[in-house]
Amino acid sequence: MSGVFRHFPVLMITLPIAGAALMPFVSYLRREAVPWVSALFLAVSGVLGLLLVGRIPPDGCVGYQLGGWEPPFGIELKVDFAGYFLMMVVCGISLLALLYSRPYIAREVRGGRITAYYVLFLLLSASMMGFVVTGDIFNLFVFMEILALSSYALVAVTGNRNAVRAAFKYLLMGAPSSIMVLLGIGFLYSVTGTLNMADLAARVVETGYREVLIASFAVLVLAFMVKAAIFPLHLWLPDAHSIAPSPMSAMLSGLVVAVSAFAIARIAFSVFTVHASGLTGTTMDALAAAGAAAVLFGGIMAIYQRDFKMMIAYSTISHMGYVVLGFTALNPEGLTGAVYHVLDHGIAKACLFLCAGNFIYRKGYRRINQLRGAWREMPWTCFAFALAAWSVIGLPPSAGFISKWYLVYGNVKAGRVPYAVILLIGAILAAVYCFRIIYYMFFQSGEEGAWRDQVMDVPVGMLAPTWILSLATLFFGVFSYFFLDSLLKATAGLLS
Amino acid sequence: MNLWPNLHYAVAMVLFCIGLYTVIMRRNIIKKIIGLNIMETSVFLFLISIGYLEGGAAPVHGHGVDPSRMVNPLPQSLILTAIVVAVSVTALALSLVILLYRQFGTLDVSRLFREEEEAG
Amino acid sequence: MKRLVSLFFIGALALLLLYVVSRMPPMGDPGNPTATRVVPRYLERAEEETHARNVVTGIIINYRGFDTLGEVTVIYCALAAVLAVLGREKRGRIRDYVELSGFPSSVIVRTMVALVVPFILLFSLYTILHGEISPGGGFQGGAVIGASMIIFTTIYGLHLSSVKVSQGLRSPLEGSAVITFFLVGVLGLFGGGNFLTYAWPKVSQALHPALVTWLTVLVEVGIGLGGAMVLVSILFAMVREEGADEPLA
Repeated sequence: MSGVFRHFPVLMITLPIAGAALMPFVSYLRREAVPWVSALFLAVSGVLGLLLVGRIPPDGCVGYQLGGWEPPFGIELKVDFAGYFLMMVVCGISLLALLYSRPYIAREVRGGRITAYYVLFLLLSASMMGFVVTGDIFNLFVFMEILALSSYALVAVTGNRNAVRAAFKYLLMGAPSSIMVLLGIGFLYSVTGTLNMADLAARVVETGYREVLIASFAVLVLAFMVKAAIFPLHLWLPDAHSIAPSPMSAMLSGLVVAVSAFAIARIAFSVFTVHASGLTGTTMDALAAAGAAAVLFGGIMAIYQRDFKMMIAYSTISHMGYVVLGFTALNPEGLTGAVYHVLDHGIAKACLFLCAGNFIYRKGYRRINQLRGAWREMPWTCFAFALAAWSVIGLPPSAGFISKWYLVYGNVKAGRVPYAVILLIGAILAAVYCFRIIYYMFFQSGEEGAWRDQVMDVPVGMLAPTWILSLATLFFGVFSYFFLDSLLKATAGLLS
Repeated sequence: MNLWPNLHYAVAMVLFCIGLYTVIMRRNIIKKIIGLNIMETSVFLFLISIGYLEGGAAPVHGHGVDPSRMVNPLPQSLILTAIVVAVSVTALALSLVILLYRQFGTLDVSRLFREEEEAG
Repeated sequence: MKRLVSLFFIGALALLLLYVVSRMPPMGDPGNPTATRVVPRYLERAEEETHARNVVTGIIINYRGFDTLGEVTVIYCALAAVLAVLGREKRGRIRDYVELSGFPSSVIVRTMVALVVPFILLFSLYTILHGEISPGGGFQGGAVIGASMIIFTTIYGLHLSSVKVSQGLRSPLEGSAVITFFLVGVLGLFGGGNFLTYAWPKVSQALHPALVTWLTVLVEVGIGLGGAMVLVSILFAMVREEGADEPLA
């Protein structure tokens, strides 16, 4: 990649950070402009990313040396196709959630904290973009911390008692896991002497000290399991995701946990080079078992919930299990399924949470029982929900079907038929809890006075992002072949 | 299991476990945050000790020290960043504690989360 | 019962970690992977490449400057997080929210604090500016400024210290670390290198060492100032009394 374009990934990451630093000035000059200026920074990042389409080779990566220092002496960004794909996913969903936030947050959050919300939101998006393309393991830690700090604060931003409690519980599990990441990096550094991921991959194979390396990998996987809420380390997720403000729930469920699950894959493949080193076998098997348990646990618990957002949060636990089962299959199809699932789950789950936000904004309804007969007053939201739920279940022709196909195929090809069966059971469980909602919304009538007779859905500023996400689940299903070919090549390259 | 050459590392691991125990088992949330700080400090100690060189000197030129006899500067720079991160997490944690105390009137975890069960 | 089970698990974890530690390369050994792999280049060539005699400063500002950008972003994020949780008082209206007097203390303490704080500030300025040639640096100095304000606020009260370091001074400077770093990074793009290369467009080779030194000092000052303002703002937000949020705008 030549010329100006090679600077674009760094600018995509640092422009929103600079925007966040400038936001107090914007707020001082004109407070109403803050959401629009934040959206502008993210939109610029998105445009820079779109200009890179076609310039990232599917089976290789584009390196960028920060400060001009060659690795391993300087930090480098390694933009491979999977990383670029995820960067665009993060940017797109963040932008839509940001636009949705404008009316929603104006109502939920008091006064001057609105500026702090947008600052934290920009930092969250920027840190996730940096997280997926960095080529240095300590840089990964730094971005992970920005991600963690902003998400703890964003859960608590409304000031509601339960929100503060949920945020504290999240912090109490998340902060020790961050320290465990640092511990894992310490073990890894002590026996390899380098922090650059490509250099680490070479050194991990050459050096002795097998116990230390296995311990390092186990500690890192455990820490990221907490961050990605893989069963049984998921305890913080239900409260945090259901009590956070809805656009924040969308970001958390759709992006934060998925990116953390991807981090496990990145460490397993780019640092520990699964096939070559032979160090990761036991840990990956244990992780796969935890993923399978997550699929079942999340699905079953979701069926029992009475609060709408709590149900969606448990569904996220289940879907993170899908991602884990995908990349632990250790073949290109499984990893492609996992990466594509991050995309389609991100879009669909964000859409589900935005629909939940619509109901809360318009009527204040949080319980599933209150959604009976909702289509009379809010048909747009109900249809968006139904379309996104189609993808969550994984029915054709939605994007969810494509990722599920590859997940199941990858597991069958790896000889792990029980896990493939568990994936299908997960889809059936998803069908149970999603169809129940759809049935309530469309085919039942609510209590007296619960719903007006005329259609009065949420304002366009909130409805548009909801519908864009909902249609995107269909778009990425029907037009998936554009991406799948490159993804298959990219993942094959990652695995070799 | 000969720990004598790696005594600093061993102490760091013991401190890490003490910190983890405090975070999990103590009921007062301020003590939990202190436990978190103990964990963080132990990992910093661990990383800095990795960079030690027997008989080494500070990695600053201009005092006539031969570069091959300087201690490793890389963990030091990593820990500078990590300390700032730890301070930030502690600041946010304490702010949440301030709010929790104002809203619930207690610092006891079992009372804080028991109300949560009742509220449903 | 739960205590015994946790003690058992933590004990098992401790034994496991101790076992791993015993298998690590011995501490202080010059043949360690850590001492032979990347570090010799830093130690030998840091002075000529980064023009900083303190190798640690050379690493954090120059070689691994992107990590330091992440670090200042973390501290700024902490400020935004604390303000999102606790709120900020309306500009210039701190008098409405806090008691005017400070912590009850004796004449000796008050006098000593008033005498010592200027010297602490002088020391922090020394630390920031000497980051390149002796142990020290931007954030270290900024933290010392924060510590001096903590002493001052504790003894003299939030009202007086909020007048001295007013919101009008703090607000623009909080983001200064991030903005300084970002501008220096973009400057590198114009200077013909990558992001965060220390360069200036069309400067001669002879001026290059001075340029790098000046940019390093600029970045250090930016980090120090930004870090100090962030810490002071976090302090003020936490010390403020209950119910002292700004009224709905």
